[in-house]
Amino acid sequence: MRGLVIAAILLAAAPLGLPPFATTLLTEALILGLLAMSLDLMVGYTRLISFGHAAAYGLGAYACGDLLIHTRLPLPFAIFLSASITGIVGIGVAWVCTLAKGVSFSMLTLAFAQLLYAIAFKWTAVTGASDGLAGIPRRVGPFGLTQFQTRNGYYYLVLGCLLGAYAFCRVLVRSPFGAVLRGIRENEPKTISLGYNTRLCKIAIVAISFMLGGLSGALYAPFAGFANTDLLFWLFSGQVLIMVIVGGQGTLLGPIVGAAFFMLLEHVLSQYTDSWALFFGLIFIGFITFAPDGIWGLFRRRVRI
Amino acid sequence: MDFLPFLLVQCLNALSQAALLFFLGVGLTLIFGIMRIVNFAHGTFYMLGAFLGYSAAHLSGSFWFALIAGPIIAGGVGAAFEIGLLRPLYRRGDSAFLMVTFGLTLVLGDITRLLWGVDPLQISLPNALGAIVFLFDEPFPTYRLFLAAAGIIVAVAIWQFLERTRLGLLIRATSQNAEMVHALGVNVNLVRSGIFGIGCGLAALGGVLAAPMVTASLGMAGNAIIDAFVIVIIGGMGSFLGSLLAAVLVAFVQVFGTYYFPDFALAAMYLLMLLVLMIRPGGLLGKEI
Amino acid sequence: MSTHNAVPRRVLLSSLTAAALAGGGQRWALAADAIKIGMPVTLTGALGSIGTQMRQACEFWAKQVNASDGLLGRPIELVIEDTAGNPSNTVRKAQEMVERSGVRLLTCIVASNEALAVAPKLTEWDAIFVSGDNGDGRLTGESLVPNFFRPNTSGPMGTRAVALWLRDSPMKKFYGIGMDYAWGHNSMDVFAAEVKRAGKEFLGAVFSPTGTKDFSPYITKIRQSGAEGCYLVLAGDDNNAFLSQAKQYRLGDKIQLLTEQVDEGSINAVGDAAVGLIGGSRYSATLDNPANKAFVAAWQKEYGRLPQMFEGDQYQSCIVLQAAIEKAGSIDAAKVRSAMENLIVNSVKGRVEMRACDHQGEQAGFVVKVVKRPGMEHPVPEVVATYPADRITPPCNQMSYDN
Repeated sequence: MRGLVIAAILLAAAPLGLPPFATTLLTEALILGLLAMSLDLMVGYTRLISFGHAAAYGLGAYACGDLLIHTRLPLPFAIFLSASITGIVGIGVAWVCTLAKGVSFSMLTLAFAQLLYAIAFKWTAVTGASDGLAGIPRRVGPFGLTQFQTRNGYYYLVLGCLLGAYAFCRVLVRSPFGAVLRGIRENEPKTISLGYNTRLCKIAIVAISFMLGGLSGALYAPFAGFANTDLLFWLFSGQVLIMVIVGGQGTLLGPIVGAAFFMLLEHVLSQYTDSWALFFGLIFIGFITFAPDGIWGLFRRRVRI
Repeated sequence: MDFLPFLLVQCLNALSQAALLFFLGVGLTLIFGIMRIVNFAHGTFYMLGAFLGYSAAHLSGSFWFALIAGPIIAGGVGAAFEIGLLRPLYRRGDSAFLMVTFGLTLVLGDITRLLWGVDPLQISLPNALGAIVFLFDEPFPTYRLFLAAAGIIVAVAIWQFLERTRLGLLIRATSQNAEMVHALGVNVNLVRSGIFGIGCGLAALGGVLAAPMVTASLGMAGNAIIDAFVIVIIGGMGSFLGSLLAAVLVAFVQVFGTYYFPDFALAAMYLLMLLVLMIRPGGLLGKEI
Repeated sequence: MSTHNAVPRRVLLSSLTAAALAGGGQRWALAADAIKIGMPVTLTGALGSIGTQMRQACEFWAKQVNASDGLLGRPIELVIEDTAGNPSNTVRKAQEMVERSGVRLLTCIVASNEALAVAPKLTEWDAIFVSGDNGDGRLTGESLVPNFFRPNTSGPMGTRAVALWLRDSPMKKFYGIGMDYAWGHNSMDVFAAEVKRAGKEFLGAVFSPTGTKDFSPYITKIRQSGAEGCYLVLAGDDNNAFLSQAKQYRLGDKIQLLTEQVDEGSINAVGDAAVGLIGGSRYSATLDNPANKAFVAAWQKEYGRLPQMFEGDQYQSCIVLQAAIEKAGSIDAAKVRSAMENLIVNSVKGRVEMRACDHQGEQAGFVVKVVKRPGMEHPVPEVVATYPADRITPPCNQMSYDN
């Protein structure tokens, strides 16, 4: 707990000590961290391996982009409304996907995400088709609040959302509901026989995961100023899943670190060589071979010793 | 053109595409059946096959040689990868496989770029395959007939291999209960390496055969892996017959769907997948796992 | 903090080689003096081959400038990074170039969706973006921003050249196939309007999703349409796949295939399947003007081959940027912007005028035909018609034409 407080303080102080672009990079890393953490609720705690989490990210981003472009809604409201919309869509997706278990569940989530991808290419009025939405503004407000428009202000908005979401997830996984989720992860038939409606619990956790994933997508759209079909692409779903695994599934904090590691590594490697993919891939293969519990596991082991 | 001839020609088109999809899907499903792993790098082997085929055809001047050499080399690379990197991971969860094969996708993709460059390459066909036949007074490429025939031949060969040979029996047995097969004194590791190599080789065969129609390019991999997933998911993970059925189904939906509803060309395949999974969560011929 | 602000090694290397090329590295007083050009370019993935061509043109240009007296007496330093074609990377990398490396000039962004994502940020970054290949009509239309300039031929301009050529052709009925992409739809709309204006018949069009592998249903539709000519707005792998399969179906025997852009990358990939294709060209090594002759000769000496379409087009953009910097006497964004407006340059494609109203470069348009020539490994495009700038360039901020 103490480490956590220190980390939060360090993150809060970061923009004061970092060069401007580092803050921008960190903002993006935290947004992806939020996305990876939201997926961890499904993957790490419930063993629902979603292969279509880009759907949540893309939905949040498009919803937020449209709200900011077409309405006068202030930035924070647009972001939270987009997260809620994504969560509601998540209930529908969850209802269908939880009909299946195991690998079939993964494949259904993939099918949904790809369907959204195909729709995004066609529904020009809402998604801007192949071009996407560009020039998404960071609207002032509420009450004339302009702080969120600046680089540092936006960073604190993202950090606030991440910390809030983490606190929420932490309470959630330690609650009785969290215990049921772990029961589903370890042995679903047994959990059913104890009298729990596991399907309902799964739908709830998928919807919550979608909502938080949508929140991160909604934060991305005004951050980058655009939203397009790449955010919904299946490859991105795979990457988010890998961020969770690299970080350490079932730890909430691990995936945040994994996401930051994944993004920064790619970003830095591609500065030095055109063959960044080669080294990126080799690092992954090395990682899984030598650090099976992810970055968080490595970290924990160190601390214990 | 009248409706009936039109229908026949489109069916031939669909069958030629089904063959390509089948080569792509069957390898993935065999690998899944035996090892319970989702090979993320499958599309990359398809692409690798196309580039290897290009070089083989270029060096030997023979398309037929490329058809044999490409898959064998790609299969060898696959088997080596299984032995070197996947084998130590069998005691670990699926997530390890996902990451390692994802890493392999990046590595192989970039090695391909370094070896062959970024420009797309064409494998030229021998005269007999580049020719046309007249079906109902309209020219039709012999190459598409050849593809359909190749698909049928390979499908029958794999089926006979699985049903009739000792190795095929072992493969089927291993997919049902690996420990039991191991207890019977069979080298399960060898079966796994073999099937991984064969699976990758089949994908590469698909790549060599696709190259004359789409050129060998670096964009092939990402495009192919999602197709392969869809085939395997619709057919049922691990089911040989399922992948055959799914390849035919998807090809027909794509050819006729694109013709009648071009606006839904991209969505058609995913709608089909969603529909199948909602009715049968394990796929057409698969068990839910 | 010093490590954080360190210049990435590639940048350093490229500036060192640039300095070395310029003669012992002594002529330039300080590396910080260099004029930095940011290039977030797609080098890997499906569009990697186009990005690689564009990068080569920029490198060639920088080498030429550095081998003479530099620009404003300063060396040029290219800051090159791969975006893999993903706009998220493009925006992040461009921003990093601006904020960490002090880049104020950007070029070489390959895909339109990358360009559209970057454009709204330019004012905030106080940076100028000079397009080298972006064809989407909207970049100089509804999506125009003050710091964006397009010295290259746009998509509608390529289509217009083909349409003007068709006015004199005996063909009467046309069909179209385009990529289901903003660019495909834009260009097809222009083509349809042009065909109707010429008093000919446009029978319809079909759009294929990017990444289409089997074109047989589309080829069937084209055949059944009864058209004499079919207009293609396809690029990259999709274009290669279509041309390969069209050849296998002998589509070209009955229907003349027309295309918005004939690029050598595609011709080299599909070989004989491209022979007979007629289309717009943004640049051809065979263009007959002194600037182009000098460029082609120097290029051949350097690389041992002819420059290709995207190379010529990107090179012209570099020359226009160079002229603007020289005229402005500075790389300050506001000064370069006003120097760029109404700038007239005679380059490899002849006269280019950067008009002030929508920042589109007014320039001639070319129609080429792909033919086989003995002694050449691949078929080659040859210019069959040239149209002057005033007939090719659309009215300000528009994607369509009035006459």
